[in-house]
Amino acid sequence: MTLPLVQINNLSLRYGNFVALDDISIDFMPGTCVVICGPSGSGKSSLLRCVNRLEDFGTGDVIFDGQSLKSAHNISKIRSNIGMVFQHFELYPHLSVMNNITLAPRYVNGINRDEAEAKAHKLLERVGILDQANKYPDELSGGQQQRAAIARALALEPKLMLFDEPTSALDPEMISEVLQVMRDLARNGMTMLVVTHEMGFARDVADEVVFMDKGKVIERNASGNFFDNPQSDRAKEFIDRVLQKI
Amino acid sequence: MDFSVINDNIEFLMLGLMRSFQLAIFTIVLSLTIACFIAIGRVSSKRSIRYPSAIFVNLLRSNPLILIVFWFFFLVPLITGKTLPEFHTVLIAFVVFFAAYFAEIVRSGIQSVGSSQVKAALSTGLTYSQSMRLIVLPQALRNMLPALVTECVIVFQGTTIAYVIGMREFLHSTSLVAERTVRPVELYLFAALVYLVICFTGTRLALFLEKNKELAR
Repeated sequence: MTLPLVQINNLSLRYGNFVALDDISIDFMPGTCVVICGPSGSGKSSLLRCVNRLEDFGTGDVIFDGQSLKSAHNISKIRSNIGMVFQHFELYPHLSVMNNITLAPRYVNGINRDEAEAKAHKLLERVGILDQANKYPDELSGGQQQRAAIARALALEPKLMLFDEPTSALDPEMISEVLQVMRDLARNGMTMLVVTHEMGFARDVADEVVFMDKGKVIERNASGNFFDNPQSDRAKEFIDRVLQKI
Repeated sequence: MDFSVINDNIEFLMLGLMRSFQLAIFTIVLSLTIACFIAIGRVSSKRSIRYPSAIFVNLLRSNPLILIVFWFFFLVPLITGKTLPEFHTVLIAFVVFFAAYFAEIVRSGIQSVGSSQVKAALSTGLTYSQSMRLIVLPQALRNMLPALVTECVIVFQGTTIAYVIGMREFLHSTSLVAERTVRPVELYLFAALVYLVICFTGTRLALFLEKNKELAR
């Protein structure tokens, strides 16, 4: 029997009086691509940041690959198995694209520079920006920066990839190039949790959709079913509103 | 006016200037090193680290430099029963005092980088200290370079304070020659010119760095 890669048990998170996550329990199987959607402030990004403990959650726990994040003493080691891509890329502006990608493999896994660069070359080729390797982030377009950020996240060969609204800060014509890279990743069996408003991606690529509102998981459904036959009224309302926008 | 008095005493004056440079450079290197740790303490999420760092900075910044020098010159020998050479006394006082000022510059530099860069670094498996060393501090340094250069100029100007406890830095050397030769106008004009050239160069450098931050990548 395959065990879940991520198990979230009774997770709650508060910012002062604001409840960001309210007693969430959910798990994610390896090799699946799950899109998390919902209105602003519903807790999607907070949930994602709890999965690699970038957010210190109050109660509950996250079990990643059998290890509890709450009691983990080697959180850095666990994080090296979870790649994360941010809305605003968060590339290191003082380092070239190549150094952005090779930094973690060298300092976290201790592999030498030549080996790390050889691997980075392959990753840059995979995301289609090999010719940008020696440039600095501010010399790249938004789409290229996000693809470099994906390459950086992949450099440690993670078991799980987290995408936090990876296309929200991009111009429309650059969105497709990033989504294409994500599509390829999903096709190759990468376990992915994707917070996004790209409903086309959710429908075509995701195996499942998780709909959140007010810090709770309202609905979890196979992606086709979620769009064609949503179970909750709140999800129906959300889909109608999103489709109206399109 | 007879400016030959400067040429006649140039070796003695340059020795003083070297002493001033020595004091400034040792102060900058040591206080900046300490300042990095204090600044990281200032932005720490742990109160047990943040509060002592804040107390150190505010205590030192609320006192004049000359008082800190006096404190180390008069009080430390009373407490420890040992007298240190003037240079060491002044150096310790300067390092402690300027560490507080440099710490505030480094702190603002760190805060200018933003926590999202730390989160990005942590997400790749780097530890907090690696994230600080490899990601935050290099960017912070670039942002704070103009302020750091300006503070270095202030440190150099501050070396004149060592005069009060008899250390033979540049101003003291100038003053000794002025008294001996009874040529204060020429000598103090010369001293003013030397300080002007050094400090003006420093402030221009700070201005240049401010305008060309990307050059410091």
